[in-house]
Amino acid sequence: MKKTKTSEFWVQAAVIGSLYAALTLLLSPISYGVMQVRVSEALTVLAMLTPAAIPGLTVGCFFANFLGPNGLMDAVLGTMATLLGAVGTYKLRHRFYWAPMPPVVANAVIVGLMLHYVYGVPISPLYCVLWVGLGELISCYGIGLPLARFLQKRKGDLGL
Amino acid sequence: MAIKDITLGQYFPGESPVHRLDPRTKIIGTFVFLISLFLVDRFLGFALAGSFLMALILSSGVPFRFLFRGLKPILFLIVFTMLINLFMTSGTELVRLGPLAVTEEGLYRATFMALRLVLLIFGSSLLTLVTKPITLTDGMERLMSPFNRVGLPSHELAMMMTIALRFIPTLLDETDKIMKAQTARGADFESGNLFRRAKGLIPLLVPLFVSAFRIAADLAMAMESRCYRGGQGRTRMNGMAFGRRDALAAGVLVLYAAGTLYLRSWIG
Repeated sequence: MKKTKTSEFWVQAAVIGSLYAALTLLLSPISYGVMQVRVSEALTVLAMLTPAAIPGLTVGCFFANFLGPNGLMDAVLGTMATLLGAVGTYKLRHRFYWAPMPPVVANAVIVGLMLHYVYGVPISPLYCVLWVGLGELISCYGIGLPLARFLQKRKGDLGL
Repeated sequence: MAIKDITLGQYFPGESPVHRLDPRTKIIGTFVFLISLFLVDRFLGFALAGSFLMALILSSGVPFRFLFRGLKPILFLIVFTMLINLFMTSGTELVRLGPLAVTEEGLYRATFMALRLVLLIFGSSLLTLVTKPITLTDGMERLMSPFNRVGLPSHELAMMMTIALRFIPTLLDETDKIMKAQTARGADFESGNLFRRAKGLIPLLVPLFVSAFRIAADLAMAMESRCYRGGQGRTRMNGMAFGRRDALAAGVLVLYAAGTLYLRSWIG
């Protein structure tokens, strides 16, 4: 019996989203706020392997933010940042060292500015952006890149 | 329903009028409330918002301590923000403590921002406290369905959200299991600097991924075997319908929104 591509695509997306949310919630002390290092952002490299990661990460981020302390604002804006980042990574999927960059930029700018303007964090907008960017760099490049290399070699195991 | 429902998404079970509202009403209502908080430009506006929220909380029967729980994680941030605003805003001085001065403007700003933030958190917490996550995704699917015409696959997205939610506890358990298994084999998750620890997460993440994708493959196969075809012609067992309660809620929301706007343009 041949599997339709569609349901497998969406179920994979769902599971990726679940992973993102679970990891963010698990490590919640460091997942929110200006000094955030979201380990689950390393998952954005999955967009290099499968387009299902785009809706998956978006939904995962939505839940992580929604169920987290920052509430609905973070859920909407943070999720947009993740969506843009994931699309960017997917587009750059053949340029290994550039691929994790879009989430870094998108999150730094959107989440950074959100923390300043919406949550009133009294650090200048530029520094907010830079701090979030730093956290993202650590997750996406520090964890993400080695993870991506590992996973690319074992694509078959994942059924991708 | 029990513990897992409550811990994830903080749902507080109940049968209050607020609980029984259609999820779409609650979602839209929350958005209206949150947006209204940004339209407030004076304390009177917060008084209105606060009383509106208080009325909702009281009628929902949710104990206040649950709402305060949502505040705990960012309490530090709020206090920090207040202090900085208090001392760093320039203007007419009220009190001076050496190099630091509390200004009138600073006091105003600090209180204003803190109040807004607190109301923001309470408002969004209330939504998750009175609505089960599954019901929320159902509501979102219905709200998104008009966008089907422009190509948004609302059903698939909602299904994906439901499945994602359902697997969060499962994956949390998996993570725990893998961490213990790797530790038993000599992996170290505790020591080392930031980079060392970050790299040390790979023996955790890779098996987790393999696990997760295996779950996905099995689930997709199971759905296919049960002839799942997507959203076409799908009906649901518990229909969602707007009732009189929702119409009443809509009326109250409109009044509230009007009140907020009125207070804004009242004087100048």
